[in-house]
Amino acid sequence: MSDYTASDFLPLSRQEHKQSLSRPSLSYWQDAWIRLKSNRRALASLYIILGLLFFTLAGPLIWRADPASQDLDQVGRPPGADRSAILVADYAPFNSGPNNATSLHLLEPATTQAVRLQWQALEGANGHRVYRNIFPVGVEKAYGIPLAEFLTNDVDSFEDRLDMKAVTYYYSLVALGPHGELLDGAETIEVDVQRVTTLFEAIDRGLISADSDLAIGDEISLTWHPLGTDYLGRDMLARLMAGARVSLFIGIGAPLLFVLFGVFFGSVAGFIGGKTDQFMMRFADFVVALPFLLFMILFKITFGIGPGESGVFPMLVALVLLMWPATARLVRGQILQIREQGYIHAAQLLGAKTPYLILRHMIPNTLGVVLVTITFAIPSAIFTEAFLSFIGMGVAPPTPSWGSMSNEGIKSMLMTPHELILPALFISITVLAFNLLGDGLRDSLDARMRNQD
Amino acid sequence: MIDKQADKQTAIVSGDEVFTHSAGRRLALYAAYAIAGLVAFIYVLNLAIGGTGSTGSTGAIDVENNSITIALRQEPPELDAGRATDAISHIVLAHVMEGLIAYDIDDNLTPGVAERWEIREDGATFWLREDSLWNDGVPVTAADFVFAWRRVVDPASASQYSFIMFPVKNAEAITNGELPPETLGVRAISDRILEVDFEQPTPYFEKLAAFLTYYPMRQDFFESTNGRYGADPDMMLYNGPYTVTEWVHGSTMRWVKNPLYWNDEKGFLDEIHTAYITEDVNAKLNLFKDGQIVDTHLMSPMLPEAMEKRWQIDRSMDGTVFFLEFNHRQERVTRNRNFRRAMQLAQDPAELVYKALKEPSYLPAVSLFPAWLKGVSASFLEEYPPVKHQMNLVRAREHLELARQELGIEEFPPLMLLTDSSPIGMLSAEYYQQLFLKNLGLEVRIDPQIFKQRLEKMRQGEFDLVMGGWGPDYNDVLTFGDLFSSWNLQNRGRYKSDEMDSWVRIAQSELDPRKRMDAFGEIQRLLYEDVVILPQYERGFSFVVDPRLKDFKRRSVGPEVDYNYAYIDGTKNSK
Repeated sequence: MSDYTASDFLPLSRQEHKQSLSRPSLSYWQDAWIRLKSNRRALASLYIILGLLFFTLAGPLIWRADPASQDLDQVGRPPGADRSAILVADYAPFNSGPNNATSLHLLEPATTQAVRLQWQALEGANGHRVYRNIFPVGVEKAYGIPLAEFLTNDVDSFEDRLDMKAVTYYYSLVALGPHGELLDGAETIEVDVQRVTTLFEAIDRGLISADSDLAIGDEISLTWHPLGTDYLGRDMLARLMAGARVSLFIGIGAPLLFVLFGVFFGSVAGFIGGKTDQFMMRFADFVVALPFLLFMILFKITFGIGPGESGVFPMLVALVLLMWPATARLVRGQILQIREQGYIHAAQLLGAKTPYLILRHMIPNTLGVVLVTITFAIPSAIFTEAFLSFIGMGVAPPTPSWGSMSNEGIKSMLMTPHELILPALFISITVLAFNLLGDGLRDSLDARMRNQD
Repeated sequence: MIDKQADKQTAIVSGDEVFTHSAGRRLALYAAYAIAGLVAFIYVLNLAIGGTGSTGSTGAIDVENNSITIALRQEPPELDAGRATDAISHIVLAHVMEGLIAYDIDDNLTPGVAERWEIREDGATFWLREDSLWNDGVPVTAADFVFAWRRVVDPASASQYSFIMFPVKNAEAITNGELPPETLGVRAISDRILEVDFEQPTPYFEKLAAFLTYYPMRQDFFESTNGRYGADPDMMLYNGPYTVTEWVHGSTMRWVKNPLYWNDEKGFLDEIHTAYITEDVNAKLNLFKDGQIVDTHLMSPMLPEAMEKRWQIDRSMDGTVFFLEFNHRQERVTRNRNFRRAMQLAQDPAELVYKALKEPSYLPAVSLFPAWLKGVSASFLEEYPPVKHQMNLVRAREHLELARQELGIEEFPPLMLLTDSSPIGMLSAEYYQQLFLKNLGLEVRIDPQIFKQRLEKMRQGEFDLVMGGWGPDYNDVLTFGDLFSSWNLQNRGRYKSDEMDSWVRIAQSELDPRKRMDAFGEIQRLLYEDVVILPQYERGFSFVVDPRLKDFKRRSVGPEVDYNYAYIDGTKNSK
């Protein structure tokens, strides 16, 4: 075994092929970003959230409709509805004039301004009822909605102005007996209603200029509402934008603030440890037990928010003051864990001061948890706002929020579904986007999952 | 080596696959079990709930047992006619009790316990029928009325409706504690003759006598209940077409035909079952669709569905007039008449009803007095047509400018609009908010409150504008006409005008119907000229009734819904 030569103990000559890094070194953030980028769902959510922020902040600058102004000519219109209208004279009170009618007939062309009917008393009638239906009367004698009742034959005309739509109506005149009961005698006419607007309204709404040469009988287009209007003719798009401001203010503002406080509280408790930790965490437990709704009401009173004023600020305060313990617990747990790690002891032995330890080691290692908490807290805050506005504790009319818009929309769900679907869709998409982004962030920020894919 | 490793890997993968496959199969099996179990559980729960829910309920109409099922909006707090103030108590009591006078199906007065009566300038006499009995068989006597009426005005019983008794001599003084209840101007001459003295001439007393506060009560029975009168079915005596036999508080009620009731023209049904107590109109609509209740009213969003289902939709006015009432108290800007005039000229009730509320049974109000009130011979509004209101923004802004100068302020403070938190209340509030902002530049803040809280705030005067409504207590113009007299507690805005007070006094005591109606005409003029209120609408209901039920009635005056005359089609003649 002693066949070594002296040459064996010479140092090696410098080799040409030595090991080198083939890829540029990646910082924690670069790595996280790369992994987030490869997660398609998270990336799409990120773009949706950026789009929402643009919608909220820049939207009102582009779409300048007033979210509170009421276009009573176009109430509850779905998106993309026909909006051509004929110009007519201003509304004049109805005077039926002499009656030379032989049967139920229209006195003037039927318009959305008014439908004016005149008739000759039906045989054997002691009075009449006027009905309106959107379906033909048919054999069931379903006359539709009773619009008016006259217990005398002296009245021989009627003007209908109730919620006129440019559709076909079936007007029926039904004879009444001496006690106001329905008799068999009835007449029905089919009426096609023309959508109209008055010159005054057209100028008032800025549809035409005051000196334009449009005359009565000309066709114009009514105000454009891309997403339709609500039950008072307010522009849905403008309201969704204004509502987004409230929803996202609460949704992003509150979580940012309470997570910040939670991180501070939790890291102090975790780092100091011992009795202080015990005391601080029991205080956090105490805060968890406080009822949110009660405090919301109390803050509303304390801040002197009178009736008719927005409750958004007390809502923010209540959220911040009551929601932080969850974050604080998470962060404290993390800090306790990190405090005992070997590299911390090593750093301490090498003479690292406490601020350096916290800034360099503690906070970056809790950041993953914290970011994820924020992304999950945002949807829950948006839901809280929606719920509080839904029960009337949030914004005050006319300020919209997505929650209060859903609350209004649900009342006419069957007739005008877009009033409910649109705000509900925005809530759902926002919440889903934040949830998916939170999921993606958790995966990409977790240092232990680094280099595992 | 490399190949081997690859082999190993595929082996692991295939092993994994096998494992995943079997695990997947097992999982699917578990899921199937779970779903089946859940379905069974829900089915059992449903059965259990169904078992408790249908306590003998067999749909809206049970022809065999001649009974119907209905829903009430709320539960009556107690069934004590002398103290009742709410519409629901009124509905129940109108079916199980009867006063001296009643309303027939055409809303005309008809004899009740009293066979005939005579109203004089200084009093009235009622002759009671012999066959009107309490449900224990004892006849209803004049003494029962004397006892009931004394109890209403007695401050000890704290009846909120004691003011309706004030036309009877000494009633007001007794309520104020100045005289003992025994001094009330009502006497039983005999068992069958009731004599009433008036405080001042009260030509409309017969209409008052039909109101539930004037219902009788038997002294010996009342004393035997130890203050629990009206709390439960056995704590009451009945003299109406029906009796309450079962009352599960908060849940159901059962009214059964009273065999001792004298009038064959009322009470055709053997049983009326109140199986549901719910305020939710959508829930009621679903019950109606399922054939569980005989009638329900329809809000405007429900109408297209009703038309599609080809129902016979009916309508009725409920008698109530709604208006915006101003606060006339010293510190409020709404005290300024020009300010109120500006608001009056900037709005149009027709637009509110036709475009914002969209309720087909609502009538844009033109005055405090609703269209159905009778004047001397025809409708009051035909005899005394109110000022035709026209929206005029130019004049409105002129008046606002005048108000600004008179009040000496630069900016008007935000106006507080008190409203009830119902959908209709909120809808009209939002409409007005934007209307006054757009037309007058006034900021309006909405204060939605539940009914009780709103009444409390109205009493305290914590509002600039309040959406008020007034329903009639009796079928006379005065039930609306005295609202804005300075002494009326319902005058929540504290409007005070000597002219108004003097016209109300004339209206209360004038015997000549023409002069009396003239006074109401003057009250109507004053209400407009002084802009005491802004009339909004007269409320009505669109409703549907099961076509097999006949002569069901919704009333403006009296109980809101009335089944007293109702019968199931085909059963009336066989009686």
